Amino acid sequence: MINKEDVLNIALLSKLYVADDKLDELTAGMQEIISFADTINSAEVENTEFDNINNLSDVFREDVVVESYPREEILKNAIEQDEGHFLVKKRV
Amino acid sequence: MSKYELVAGLETHIELATNTKIFCGCTTEFGGEANTHCCPVCIGLPGTLPKLNKRVVEYAIRAGLATNCKIAEISKMDRKNYCYPDLPKAYQISQFDKPLCYEGYVQLSNGRKIRLTRIHIEEDAGKLIHKNGDTYVDYNRGGVPLIEIVSEPDIRSVEEAREYVEKLQQIIRYVGVSDCKMQEGSMRCDVNISVRPQGSDTLGTRTEIKNMNSITFIAKAMEYEFERQVDLIESGGSVVQETLRYDDATNTTSSMRSKEDAHDYRYFREPDLVTISVSKEQVDAIAKTLPELPEAKLQRYVQELGIPQKDAELLTKYRRITEFFESASIGLQNPKTVANFILGSVFKTLETESAKEDFKILTTPAQLNELVKLIESGKIKNNLAKAALDKMLASGKGATDFIDESDMGGLDEAALTELCKQAISSNPAAVEDYKNGKEKALQSLLGYIMKNSRGKADAQAALAMLKDLAV
Ligand SMILES: [Zn+2]
Repeated sequence: MINKEDVLNIALLSKLYVADDKLDELTAGMQEIISFADTINSAEVENTEFDNINNLSDVFREDVVVESYPREEILKNAIEQDEGHFLVKKRV
Repeated sequence: MSKYELVAGLETHIELATNTKIFCGCTTEFGGEANTHCCPVCIGLPGTLPKLNKRVVEYAIRAGLATNCKIAEISKMDRKNYCYPDLPKAYQISQFDKPLCYEGYVQLSNGRKIRLTRIHIEEDAGKLIHKNGDTYVDYNRGGVPLIEIVSEPDIRSVEEAREYVEKLQQIIRYVGVSDCKMQEGSMRCDVNISVRPQGSDTLGTRTEIKNMNSITFIAKAMEYEFERQVDLIESGGSVVQETLRYDDATNTTSSMRSKEDAHDYRYFREPDLVTISVSKEQVDAIAKTLPELPEAKLQRYVQELGIPQKDAELLTKYRRITEFFESASIGLQNPKTVANFILGSVFKTLETESAKEDFKILTTPAQLNELVKLIESGKIKNNLAKAALDKMLASGKGATDFIDESDMGGLDEAALTELCKQAISSNPAAVEDYKNGKEKALQSLLGYIMKNSRGKADAQAALAMLKDLAV
């Protein structure tokens, strides 16, 4: 069972603020999601040590250089840029 | 001896010397203008898919085999989630519970084995430059392949840590998967460190010192952290589990984050990459391409070639030196002569460690081989060869450019006798000293003979003859 502590902890890890009056509602909602995800546990996975995606393995690329993109293209979506760099707010 | 014992384990990140990044074809070349070695994959644009570089797997297996690891038949990639601007996708593709290599070891000179828990492959992060209150992000390094080598907490002293890092560096360079240049960041270490009373077998609370890029810093940081933890415990406190940063300017460690706000990385299977399976045959094929490893080479030099242990250690430190040495020794009776020339005259021209590592000298192995052959065939004496070698190293020319026919063949007995007589008659004072028991006085006579024979005289024979003639 999910309790309020769990929700607050997950909120902290997700860098989310949870108002006190929303806590009960979120706890119930969270429990619902977890119960739903529990259905996955009933899937038959015996004899598979761990899954192969679509039974594929070993899709590799040769170590051959491909030309990189022009810098203008790379920086095109940057909200801010300076001297060819992406610019972001300083974080600790 | 301290009442406390140091317990440490290392996590070592090493950049692999592949041509391209781990999941895209961008170059891994060091340097370059910011964000010019990038594409949609390595800047994490939505809709792109990573594709694993085959050579990354091969190189990691090489590193694993060289450090006595087992190679996993099946392994996979996982997402390690954390949010920081050096990771454009907000996760790093790494390996969590199924690393490529596991259960290896590195043996130290004191016989102790430092066990390796695992070696896994992952992508490097971008570079952040903090200035003017902003953070400048360069993703050229983002996606460069890394191996992370994780040791068990088996290290018991700063000296062992130092040797462990040096050994790893040497082995990885030998197998050619990285240049391991700590100053350029292609090898970086995190140290987990704790203390416990001598004789105890439980582990104390550990701290982790992050991201050190020199062996000197590792040693200093460990010394400082050991003292700090001992002082804490002695004064009645206790060590708090936290991540530390080492500041080399003040030689202290300071907290980056405590356990309370430690990251929960929420690892999960990377759904965009398929399983990696490695067959026994593939492992064997890679094992066959490994060169002779440093430890085996050292033993062979000492036992089979008769090179003194200390000299053999210096020769085997860098692979390029061993290649030069072995090539220059082909067909010689006594490779020790070549070893002595390398450790003497050649090393004198290579002052720094990195110069020794690069081993860029003008003389070729074939030229040194020719010179030593002249000694072995009795055509020239050692001291003349040494003088010639100095000139060869400075010019890149061959031995015969400095030694002509008249130098070869040494001196016959009659010529040597004549020279000895001259030496005695022109140095009566020295002869008198020798007669009065000063053995050393003969040196000045020998000097005269060497000078007047242009180094061709055999010093031992000349000394014997001087003793006969002088009394
Ligand atoms: Zn790329």
